[in-house]
Parts: sequence; C-alpha cells; structure tokens
Amino acid sequence: MSGSIVGLSPFKFAGLCVGIVGFLLCLILPIPGLYFAGKVTLGIFVMAAVFWMTEPVPIFATSMLVIFLQVLFLSAQGPLFQNSTLPTYTPIHLDGNEWRIANEAITEEGIIIILENGRQMPVLVDSYYSENGQVVVNSNSLNDGLQIVADVSHRRAAYQPNSYTDFFGTLANPIIILFLGGFMLAAAAVKYSLDKNITRYLLQPFGERPLPILFGLMLITAILSAFMSNTATTAMMMTVIIPITAQLKSEDLFKTALALSIPVAANIGGIATPIGTPPNAIALAAMTKSGAFVSFTDWMMMATPLVVIVLFISWLLLYKLFPPLAEKINMNSQGGFLINPKAITLYVLFAITVLLWITENLHGISSNIVAFLPISGFVLVGILDKDDIRSLPWEVLWLVAGGISLGISMGSSGLAEWMINSIPFGSFGLITVIVMFSITALMMSNFLSNTVTATLLMPLAISLVTSGALGTDFSLIILGLVISISCSLAMVLPISTPPNAIAMSTGLISTPDMARSGIIIGLIGIMIVISYALIYWPLFI
Amino acid sequence: MKNKAEIYILIVEDEAGVLSAIVRDMEYFEEQFPIEMTESVEEARDVVKNILDHNGQLGLVICDHILPGTHGADFLVELQNDEKTAKAMNVLLTGQAGLDETIKAINEGGLKHFIAKPWDKDELINISIKLLTDYVIQNENDLLPYMKLLDQERIAAELHKGSRLSDR
Repeated sequence: MSGSIVGLSPFKFAGLCVGIVGFLLCLILPIPGLYFAGKVTLGIFVMAAVFWMTEPVPIFATSMLVIFLQVLFLSAQGPLFQNSTLPTYTPIHLDGNEWRIANEAITEEGIIIILENGRQMPVLVDSYYSENGQVVVNSNSLNDGLQIVADVSHRRAAYQPNSYTDFFGTLANPIIILFLGGFMLAAAAVKYSLDKNITRYLLQPFGERPLPILFGLMLITAILSAFMSNTATTAMMMTVIIPITAQLKSEDLFKTALALSIPVAANIGGIATPIGTPPNAIALAAMTKSGAFVSFTDWMMMATPLVVIVLFISWLLLYKLFPPLAEKINMNSQGGFLINPKAITLYVLFAITVLLWITENLHGISSNIVAFLPISGFVLVGILDKDDIRSLPWEVLWLVAGGISLGISMGSSGLAEWMINSIPFGSFGLITVIVMFSITALMMSNFLSNTVTATLLMPLAISLVTSGALGTDFSLIILGLVISISCSLAMVLPISTPPNAIAMSTGLISTPDMARSGIIIGLIGIMIVISYALIYWPLFI
Repeated sequence: MKNKAEIYILIVEDEAGVLSAIVRDMEYFEEQFPIEMTESVEEARDVVKNILDHNGQLGLVICDHILPGTHGADFLVELQNDEKTAKAMNVLLTGQAGLDETIKAINEGGLKHFIAKPWDKDELINISIKLLTDYVIQNENDLLPYMKLLDQERIAAELHKGSRLSDR
C-alpha cells in the first residue's frame, strides 16, 4: 500500500512513478537521432503524457508543470542555457570532399551540424572513417572557413533555445484570449439566465411530440455549446430534461434518449466554432503558429456543416435505439428574459460579440480582438464582478496554455520531427494518414481528456505537414480539423467527457447504452470527418 | 480504494420497532449513504465519534426527541456546537416535543426540519433528499456521485452556475 503514503490510488501512484522514471530515462539513455534538447523535450512529453493519462495530479497541474520544466530546462534564460555557448570548430580540408573533424563533432549516424548565418543545419555526410582519434568525413556540404558544431552531444546542439517568454506567453496567446472572451460570455449568460431563457424560448416551436422535442433539445444544446462550454451547457440542459423524464413511465426508453441526447449534442456542438471546446484552441494555436491562418468564419464554414449532419444522424439514432412510449410531452416553458439595464446591456454585447465573430471575414477584425469586447465590456458595465471573474474556469486556460507550450518545444527541439521520421508516413498516402490521425484521436480521447489528446497529436501533425511527406499542397488546417473534431466525437464512456459524466450520474442511462450510441456516433462521425477532409475542406485551402 | 469521506445518515430512536421502520423507509439512500441506527444519545455519540475517527462525515441526523438520558433536542444542540458536526443536517422526528424544546432545537440546534409522528414515508424521503442535497452542495466538491439519489435538478443547476466542472 505504498500508494496510500501520498494518498493516491495504486494506479495513480504507479502513474506518478512511471512518469518521473520516464522523464529521467529520456535524459540519461542515448536516443539515436535525438540531440540533447530533443531528449529533454521527450522526457517532458513522456512524463506529461503519463501524468495526463493516469492523473496522479489534476490535468491542468500537469500543464503548469510542463511550462515550468520548459522554462527551467529548455529556455535560453534557464540554468542550462543561460551561460552556455555552442562549441564550434573549423574542419580541416584534406583533399577533394574530404575533411578532418573532431571525434565529438559527428553523430553515430554520420550527421554533422553546419553553422550557416548562426543557424544550425544538421547534414548527413556521404561517408566517414576514424583516423588517429579524429574523423575524416566525405561531404560536399563543407566549404573553406565554414564552421561546424564541435560537440554534437552539447546541450545547444541542433537547438536554438526559446526565450522563456515564449513558454510563459502561451497564457496570453491570442487564442487563449479568445477563449477568455468566450468564458466571459458564458459566465454572464449563466448569471443572467440568458442560456436557460433562450432554451425555453427556442423550444416552444417544437411542440409536444417526442420526436421533434428530441430534435429541438439537441439543436439548442448544440448551438449553445458552440459558444459556451459543453459541460455548462449539459448541466443547464439537464435541468430542462429532468422534469420531462419525471413525467415519463418508468419503462419508457425515451428517458434514455433524452438523457443521452444532451451530452451527445453538447459534444458535437463544441465542434462548430473555434471557442466551442478546448481541443479547437490547441488546433488553432498550432495552425496559427505554423502560418496557416483560420478565421472564426472559416472555421464555422468548414465545421458547421459537419456538425449539422452528425447531429441529425445522432438524433435519428437515439430515436431508433430508444423509441418513446409517450405520445405527448408537456413542456413547461414558463419564465421570461430578465429586463433590467444590466441584463439588456448583456444581451446587446452578447449579440454584437457573436455577430462580429461569425462575420470576421466580412469586416476583417480578428475574433481574438473582438473577444476583448465582452472581457472589458462586462466588467466596465458591472455585468460581471470580481467574484464572477474569480470563478471563471481558469484551469482550462492553463490546460490549453500548457498544451501550446509543449508544442513549441516539440517543434523547436526537433522531437516532433524525430517522432514523425520514425514512422514512414510518406509511403502511406494521404487517406491513410488522415484515417490514422482520426482514429487515433477518437480512441485516445475516449479515455483521455480531449484537450490532452489534441495536445499530444497536434505537434506531430505540424511536423508531418511541414516535412512535406504528404505533398506540398496539403494543408495543416485539414489535419488540425481532423484531430480536433475527432477528439470531440469521442463519447463512448462516462469518462470520455464531462457532459457524459453528468448524464451518466443521473442514473437514467446505463453504461452499455452510452457505449452503444457512442460507438455508432463516433464511427459515423469520423467517416464524415474523413470524407470532409478529402473532399470539402480542401475547397477552402 | 475509497479516498472520499463517506457521508453518513444517523438515526436515533429508542423504540426498536419505530427505529427499524425508519431505517426501512430510509433504505433508498443506502446505496450512497451508510446509515447508522442508534437507540440512545449515548450510543449516538459513540457512533459519531467512530464515524469522524474513520474519516467519515455526518450528513444527516434523524432524531427522536424523547430518549432515555439526554433528549433529542439537546443532542442536536450538542452537534451544532461541535465544529466537526455543525454542518450536519437534522430532522426532529417526534410526537412529543413541546414548544420550548422545539424552539431550542431550532434556535440552538440549527434544526432544519420537524416531522410529527406518525410520519409519511414519502415526506421523510423527500425531506431527506432536500437536506442531503443541501449538504452535498454546501460541502462537497464533486457532486456527480450524489446526483442519482438526490435532487438531480438542483445538482444540475448547481453544476451549471458553479465552476465545479469544466470542459477538459
């Protein structure tokens, strides 16, 4: 019971140990093809992945740890790099393409690092052999006076350390600010019951029969969760459906359909906008950093048609799997919108913000900038106060920031490239790669946090696309969408997403019911994702 | 392995037949909340001490008033004055408490609800659901385990407006 010492379950305790040991092993063991910074990053990656999977600490705490370790071990200002200079060496020209270099200047694979205008360029030499404790290489990349790195095991080898501000700065990444704006909107909507009143109002046209009501509930859930958190939307919609389930007979399967429809629609709805759910932020930040810009409007035009189809199929599926006995359902749509100066200001600001976001392509003002309208507007007017700001889900922002930060080092240390090179993606072809990323993301995020799944996969996607293995026309945007959307389609288990956990906690659903619908929706969903990735999204690139 | 402190329901009633009737009515909660039955305040004190020693917490006390030795209202006052049990919800289930004792239970014992004997099973369960829902909302961080048995609508509303759960 060693686990009880730190108050962790044996599983989590094992995760804690494996994570730490994994980190240390990556530092100590020689790893072919990885330089020092790549090994450190691999260590951080392994530890973070294990911690995120086993959760000995909350996932956002792991994200904070990631940023801390990066600042400590990988930043130019950290103890490892602040006083270190790259040892350089001028190869001695022997004859033709033959040059003599120091033993330490070449890796076992025969790679030397040439310095060109201060940049380090790893180059594979044509051949090399040892002679009198030195190495003679044959390479046409070397010129007189050109310098190479004297010691390939040096911590700066093949690595230009990032400034620590790069890692800290992820918390103020424009995408994070966009999310903060979304959080402010959601917090204000909840505080003034705007979401609940919108729901009541929008549900009215769907009448009293079960089939349209189920559709209405799912549609409204999806729309709200496109702008609010999937979890908050689910919780709110549960307060709407619980009174409905109470009027159904105990043997009426439609209870299950209702209780499942909410998390399903909330998970799907999050796909529709950049701020719908955190994996979207990971994908967007990675795309933006690689120069593939996607506006709010672009995202919606690419993702919303998919949301509509998957939602429609899910609606029919749930109705088929859990058909109703009741022919009529009483909808209590009492209540009205709050009418007071603050509430009205909220409605106006809310509408303006959402409108400006959706129409980003028309006016060209970045959605990240528009996000500051609710951020500053709500506190200026007093719609949200100090306590409201304190209770925003800051840990989600840290989680995303940690993911973005890890992605920076995976790129700059060469780790992501190394991982990609260890799998022969180039020979797979485009369809195979898209299917692989889609299925991997779906499977992983059924067990892991969706954000974590996107965090672990996005850096690989970036490297893969920039490596050119998929062809020079292929855009990171497509693979980013594949990953983030596939993450959101994972809804097989109660642990897959918090909306699933909430729905399961009501006791209205059994785990097999959730698994059955989740597997079908997931599989149909990724088939649609894959076909969009091959046919529809390329139209936007 | 359970890391969480379990929330106990304590029932104090000296007549064995009545005690088992209450426990039978409260069976609904057993799935999530362990139920302790005691026949006197002395016994109840030991049970409470035992619960707290084993890292449990007292969530709800259903107490008769006329008991051998210490009376129910006085026991509720005692619990209220101990910070380890002050958060517990309580019900005085009695036929014989006079006005003075009742006032004392309300003012000093923080009495949440008074049920006159003979009680109605549904009333007892509904009151217990309400009080336990209050208890978990006020004292627990993770509300999901309690949703099935308690007031789902209120817990969902709390998850909605509180910041206990977020996307991940």
